[in-house]
Amino acid sequence: MVEEERALLSPAGGDDDGGGGGSPGSPRALPAVCDPRRLPHRLLVLALMCFLGFGSYFCYDNPAALQTQVQRDMKVRTAQFMALYAWYSWPNVVLCFFGGFLIDRVFGIRLGTIIFSIFVCVGQVIFALGALLNTFWLMDMGRFIFGIGGESLAVAQNTYAVSWFKGKELNLVFGLQLSMARIGSTVNMNIMGWIYTRVQDLLGYTGPSTLGLTLMIGGVTCLFSLTCALILAYLDKRAQKLLCKEQGKTGEVIKLTDVKDFSLSLWLIFVICVCYYAAVFPFIGLGKVFFIEKFKFSSQEASAINSIVYIISAPMSPVFGLLVDKVGKNIIWVLCAVITTLASHIMLAFTFWNPWIAMCLLGVAYSLLACALWPMVAFVVPEHQLGTAYGFMQSIQNLGLAIISIAAGMILDARGYLFLEVFFTACVCLSLIAVVMLYFVNHLTGGDLNWSAKKREKLQKVAANEVEEQERLRRQNEDDLAKLQPKADDFSLRNKYLSKLGAQVQVSHQEEDGFFNSQMQFLFDSENLVVIIVGGTWPVSTAARGLPAVAGEGLFEHGLLECYLAIFVRVQFAMNLEWLEV
Amino acid sequence: MLMLNLSLWAVFEYSEAKGLEELFYPTYDLSGFSWDSVNRTLNHTALTAEFSGVPATDPGGSFSNGSVGFRVTAYEAGGRDRPLPSLLHTANSSKVEFVLAGVAPRGNGSRFALEVATVEEPGVVQELRSARSIDDEYTPTIFEMLSLVAQSQNDSSTRSFLQWKATAYGSRSPRREDNIQCRSGGLQAANWTLPASSIVRAYFGEGVGSSYTVSAINISFGGEDGEVYQEKRYLSWSALLGFGQPPRDTFSPLVISIMAVALGTPMAMLLVGGCVLLFAQRKRYSEYEPIN
Repeated sequence: MVEEERALLSPAGGDDDGGGGGSPGSPRALPAVCDPRRLPHRLLVLALMCFLGFGSYFCYDNPAALQTQVQRDMKVRTAQFMALYAWYSWPNVVLCFFGGFLIDRVFGIRLGTIIFSIFVCVGQVIFALGALLNTFWLMDMGRFIFGIGGESLAVAQNTYAVSWFKGKELNLVFGLQLSMARIGSTVNMNIMGWIYTRVQDLLGYTGPSTLGLTLMIGGVTCLFSLTCALILAYLDKRAQKLLCKEQGKTGEVIKLTDVKDFSLSLWLIFVICVCYYAAVFPFIGLGKVFFIEKFKFSSQEASAINSIVYIISAPMSPVFGLLVDKVGKNIIWVLCAVITTLASHIMLAFTFWNPWIAMCLLGVAYSLLACALWPMVAFVVPEHQLGTAYGFMQSIQNLGLAIISIAAGMILDARGYLFLEVFFTACVCLSLIAVVMLYFVNHLTGGDLNWSAKKREKLQKVAANEVEEQERLRRQNEDDLAKLQPKADDFSLRNKYLSKLGAQVQVSHQEEDGFFNSQMQFLFDSENLVVIIVGGTWPVSTAARGLPAVAGEGLFEHGLLECYLAIFVRVQFAMNLEWLEV
Repeated sequence: MLMLNLSLWAVFEYSEAKGLEELFYPTYDLSGFSWDSVNRTLNHTALTAEFSGVPATDPGGSFSNGSVGFRVTAYEAGGRDRPLPSLLHTANSSKVEFVLAGVAPRGNGSRFALEVATVEEPGVVQELRSARSIDDEYTPTIFEMLSLVAQSQNDSSTRSFLQWKATAYGSRSPRREDNIQCRSGGLQAANWTLPASSIVRAYFGEGVGSSYTVSAINISFGGEDGEVYQEKRYLSWSALLGFGQPPRDTFSPLVISIMAVALGTPMAMLLVGGCVLLFAQRKRYSEYEPIN
């Protein structure tokens, strides 16, 4: 059946300008909005993709937006309240490793996205039901189910983006998705309190049912996102039919055994990540009431200031991304971000200064850190371990968030805001220690984390040249290599040596056995390959005798290329001759 | 010599409608209460005593299983209370706790206020000070400390004080979430006359009202959405009463040490690391020198 469809559709796939679907029933020329190759249709898909994550980001911060109401209506302590955040993080400690696997192998991107969206919806509904029925454990369970869907949905969203916008627009699309996520959080912070008061006016009293109804209304955004997921699945399927496009894959390979190969630098990056985010997200979770109680803000004002970090990060992330890309020196940027965050937490802890200053600083620092920290992982990990490294990083980030959230709630109950801020400051300091250590470790091991972009570019160019060169050589040798079936390792080893030798090297040695009773001189660099045979008999090709043999003389060239050491030459020659005799 | 003389005078109950109009219920005048004997509640080891009383006439039945009480705790030495609000005290001070237990509110959203009256002797000026402190470690999430101090007019030295945090608690074993917002009005000249049988009159003689002036502060409990009392039917408000300067909170050693370690370690690492790098560089140069 699929084969048949493909056969029918293949002419349409090949035709670039016609834009016609070849499906028997459909008209020849599709309008621009319906044509998966045209911009309007892709913009439609982009909009759907952005709104795909809106619901989950909106509902993630529901507790923070309604902290006073949740604590009053459900009669819970701050530690229990913060457990709502912890329950979101717990499933993601494990799921970070499997999200990609589930999408690639088990569900496929389309079904996976729908399933994760359903998890998000069901989670939010249970969360709201828990409030309606005045059972707090049900709310915890709702957050747990919500967490199962939430983070994996983000992975699915990225996979969709890659599959539709691979090429030039991809970074923009990622940026837009991130901005949309921040907008979701911001809208939530500023609107949920208002919805609560409207529901309160409607019902005439406050209580668990008011809260439950409010959360149900918030859950509408999740339904909206689920609708987006369904439409997106349909459009993706349709595009697959029309364009013979493959279903998007995360391409993530997670191998837990890679963990033992992680370098010290990578572990330090993990520490920075965990300690830093632990001092930002739980703080925002508790932020609204903090601003009301310490700075005497009104509820609306507190919501606004609590969402400023997200508001700033929406436009600043692309700007900082560009800046870090242009300048390089990632560690210095991370250091700046961590110190700024430290300053802002100290301000919040020890002064009554206008908290807008501290929160704006925090917002800027947070955006900067995200742009400088995450790309660093790619510099210290070989490409095939990248999936594992990022999965691991997210996993322990979630673990850290879960633990610190609960700890933060308990500290607030027992010791108040000063101590809580001191605790967050200590977390940031731990992160700072890790940055400083990373700087020195990187310096001592000659790592490339702190190179400027210029240097990186230069080295990349050199590396690219090298690769090109090797590619050329490889192509030259390909025929012989194919005949000899050399091990893949040989090739890489040789490249390594060649690149180190660089200039002309002279190897001269005396063969003693029957075949090579002669003196040979090998001259080679990475460009040319010359064999000079002085005297003796040469059983293979008389053309080479006494004369420079130009590269391309298959057999010898191969033999020569392998001569890192004199002793290798013998082995190789023996092998070659054997082959000759055959 | 007790320079600040205090009498807790009356308990008001009022409800605040949306339009900021306050409806006052008939005042509970504490002089009209019948009080239990203090001997029964006197505790010689903990140095506490508790007076509790109910109105002599209770037509509304609000006090059918409730009472208004004052608990006084004296201290042998300086230190800090365990239960919230954990006020810092000296040996020269004692704690007065106002407890409203089980009194049925007479309205739906009604709140209570306490009027505290003080008697000023000639030559003494009273002042209500409100200080916002960043340190809420001992009284979580409460940043405001109020104190009523009596200063001598001549050398403006503080003679005595009444000090309290801007919070009351709605539980016998108070925790942070039981806190009931507590607001204080300004210090005003009392606009009523002392009852003839008052102990104040007995203590100060007939001069009260002429040479001694009486001023009062209203302390009200419950915020905009404070319904804690309605649920728990318990309210306790503590204040510290003492001679000399009111004690001042300082950062706890734990906070100071955490900050010192947290900020000191990266600094030390930067210094040491910088020195090591510098030294290593110089050493490298010195190795090259002979070759040059």
